[in-house]
Amino acid sequence: MSLKNCHNFSDFRKLAKRRLPSPIFHYIDGAADDEITYNRNTSAFNDVDLVPNVLRGVESVDLSTTIFGKKLDLPFYCSPTALQRLFHYDGERAVGRAAQKFNTMFGVSALATVSVEEISSLIDTPKMFQFYFHKDRGLNDSCLERAKAAKFDVMALTVDTITGGNRERDLRTGFTSPPKLTLASLFSFATKPMWGINYLTKGKFELPHLQDYVKEGTSTNTSIGNYFSTMLDQSMNWNDAEKLCSQWGGHFALKGVMSVEDAKRAVDIGCTGIMVSNHGGRQLDGSRSPFDQLAEIVDAVGDKLDVICEGGFQRGTHMLKALSLGAKACAGGRLYLYALAAAGQAGVERALGQYKSELERDMKLMGCTKISDLSRNNLRFR
Amino acid sequence: MNINDCLNYDDFRKLAKKKLPAPIFHYIDGGSDDEETLKRNTEAFNDCDLVPKVLANVGKPNLSTTVFGRKISMPIFLSPTAMQRLYHPEGDNASARAAEKFDTFYSMSTMANTTIEEIANVSSGPKIFQLYIHKDKSITDDLIDRCKRANFDGLCLTVDTIVAGNRERDHRSGFTTPPKLSLKSIISFASKPKWVFDYLANKKFELSNVKNKTEKGTNITKSVIQYINEQYDPGMNWNDAEYVIKRWGKPFAIKGIMSVDDAKKAVDIGCTAIMVSNHGGRQLNGSRSPFDQIKLISDAVGDKVDIILDGGIRRGTHVLKALAAGAKACSFGKAFLFSLSAGGQKGVEKLLQNMRDEIERNMILMGCKNLKDLDYSRLIFRR
Repeated sequence: MSLKNCHNFSDFRKLAKRRLPSPIFHYIDGAADDEITYNRNTSAFNDVDLVPNVLRGVESVDLSTTIFGKKLDLPFYCSPTALQRLFHYDGERAVGRAAQKFNTMFGVSALATVSVEEISSLIDTPKMFQFYFHKDRGLNDSCLERAKAAKFDVMALTVDTITGGNRERDLRTGFTSPPKLTLASLFSFATKPMWGINYLTKGKFELPHLQDYVKEGTSTNTSIGNYFSTMLDQSMNWNDAEKLCSQWGGHFALKGVMSVEDAKRAVDIGCTGIMVSNHGGRQLDGSRSPFDQLAEIVDAVGDKLDVICEGGFQRGTHMLKALSLGAKACAGGRLYLYALAAAGQAGVERALGQYKSELERDMKLMGCTKISDLSRNNLRFR
Repeated sequence: MNINDCLNYDDFRKLAKKKLPAPIFHYIDGGSDDEETLKRNTEAFNDCDLVPKVLANVGKPNLSTTVFGRKISMPIFLSPTAMQRLYHPEGDNASARAAEKFDTFYSMSTMANTTIEEIANVSSGPKIFQLYIHKDKSITDDLIDRCKRANFDGLCLTVDTIVAGNRERDHRSGFTTPPKLSLKSIISFASKPKWVFDYLANKKFELSNVKNKTEKGTNITKSVIQYINEQYDPGMNWNDAEYVIKRWGKPFAIKGIMSVDDAKKAVDIGCTAIMVSNHGGRQLNGSRSPFDQIKLISDAVGDKVDIILDGGIRRGTHVLKALAAGAKACSFGKAFLFSLSAGGQKGVEKLLQNMRDEIERNMILMGCKNLKDLDYSRLIFRR
C-alpha cells in the first residue's frame, strides 16, 4: 500500500498504522474510556440525510468561507494538534505548508514540536495558536507574546482539557512524550525501524513553547493525560478567559464549548469564535458530539460569533451537513494526522485535496455553487 | 447454482459474482464514498411495517398500473442502466425482450451498447429512453428525434449525474469502459474465461447511440466517470429541461428528483412523471433514500404527476410499501443487472417472474385487490 492507493480517510489510517510504532498510532487513533463519543462524532452525521436540488447550473463552485475576518479558500481547516513530529519528522512544517497550498487555516498547538516563529517564517496564510492555560504564568505570558510577535491571526483557548482524559490505549501501550522504550513497546518500535531512524536523525524532538519553563514532555517522559492533569491550572474560570481575551487583543476563540449557556458567555467575554468540540472524543466519553449539538448553538449565537464544528469529519458530505446546519467552518485533527503519518506533506496535501474535490463534487450534486447556498432546507433528520 | 435456483436478490447477486470479472461486478454492486446511502435505500423499507386486512375476498389481484401513458402489467420496471453488454453478450436486447414478455417497461440508457433503432425492432413492448444533456446540443437533439421516430413511449431526463460520484470500488478495481486489462484486474479477467470469450466473440463494444457524434468512450479507453465529466453539461438547468419536454412532446419524467421544491418545479414545466431517485446510491452519498422521501413528495405533487420510486427495491413487499407511501410504480437497476449478468434474457425473465409472484402473493396477504387499495393507512412506521 502506498500513498497513491489512499482514496479516503480509512486508507490513510491504514497506511499510518503501518508506518507508526503502535503506541504512537494508538495515541492518534484512541480516545477516552470506551470511545463511544469518539465513534458518535462521526456516526452522528448518518442521522441526517442530504436532499439535493437539481437543474441549477453548477459549472463552478466557490468553497470559500470567512472566519475570524480571514477569507479561506476551503470551508475546513487543520485543527491544532500536539506532538506532530512524532508522527512524521517534518511535523508542523509539513502540515503548515500543505495548509498554505490550499489557502486554509493552520492551527499550531502550545504542545507543537515546531515553534510559532518558524511556522510564521514558513507560511503566510492564516494561523491559529492553541493556548493551554498553565499554572506557570510566565509560560502563559511567553506563549501569548510569542504568538503575537509571530503575527498569528487567532488565539484559541482550550477549555476542555482541565484534566487529562482517560485514554486507556495510552495506558496499555505506555505512550509518553518523549517516547520511552518499555518492555511492552520495544517490539513495536523495533518493527518500525524507519520511524526510529527518522526520529533519531531528523532533528531533536522539542516542545519549543514549553521547554524553557517545564521539563515534562521533553526531558521528562509524561503521558499527555498526565501533562494536562499536572501542568494546567484547574482553577481556570471565565475571568481568566476574559483577561486572556483582552490581553491578546485580536480574534479570540474558546475551543471545546458544548453548552448553549457557555456559548452565550463566550460572546459576553468578547470571543469572536467558538469551536464546538469534545476534543475528538479524547476527554469526556459519553459527551455529546459536536454535530448533534451544533444546531442549538448556531441558533443561540450564530449571528454573534463564528461557530466552528470540530470533530468527526471523514468526508466532504459530513462537512456539507455541518455547514448546512450553520457552522461557518469545519475543523479536524485526525482529518490530516493519519495522512501526515502516512506520507508527510505529500500525504496531507493529498488528503486536503481529496476533501476539497469531494466537497466540490458534493456541492454540485446538491445544486449549490457557494457555501451560503447551503441551509437546513437541504437536510432531513431521520 | 443456476438461474432456476435464483429465488431472490442475493441469489442473483451471487450468481452474477461468479460469472463476472471482479471490476465489472463491483461496478454494479458499488456505491459512492462509504456506501451508506446505497445501504439505506433498501434498509429504509424496514422502518415501516405492512398492516394486512383479512377476509377481504381478493381473488386474483390486478397488478396493472399506468405510467408514461401506457398501461403495464405490474408496478415495477427496468431502470435505465448503461453498457449492458458488459454484463451479458445480449445486453439491452435481452432486457428489452424480457420486459416485453412481462409487459413492463424496458429503459434504454444514452450509454447503451445498442441503438435506439435496433431496440425498436427487437421489442414492441413498453419502452422509455433515458437522456443525458450533452455539452454538444446536437447530440441531445439527435437522441430525442430518434426516440420519437422509434416510437418510444416516454423519455426521462437524468439530473443527478451533473458530476460523477466518487465510486471508490472502481478506483480500486481499475474499472474502465471498454474494459482494460491492468495488472490489478488481469487475474479477475483470466478467472472468468467464459465472460472474456463472450465479450470478444460478440460485436464490438461501443456506445452505439452516440458513436457517430463522439469518439469518447468508444475507441479510447475511458472510464464512464471520465465520460460523464467530459460530455455532460454541468450548466444544465430548468430551461434545458423545458426545452427537451417541448421537443419531445410526449410523456416525460425527470429522474433524480429528491426535494419537494424540485418536484413542484417539475410539475410547472410540464413533466408527466418524476422518478424519485439518488441514482442507486452511486452519486451523492449521505443523500436521502427515495423511500424516506416519497411520502413528502407524494403529498406535494402526487395528484399532478406520476411518482416513480427508483432505488433499493429487492422484494415485492418493498414495491407494496412504496406504492402505499404514494408511488405509482417502482423501478430497479441493480437487481435486474445481476439477473442479466446471471442469465441473460432468461435471467431477467426469472427475476420479473419472481417479482410478479411476490407482489401478487403479498397483495393477497394484504387483502388488496387493486394497487390503489394500497394507501398510507396500510403502513405503520416504527418511530
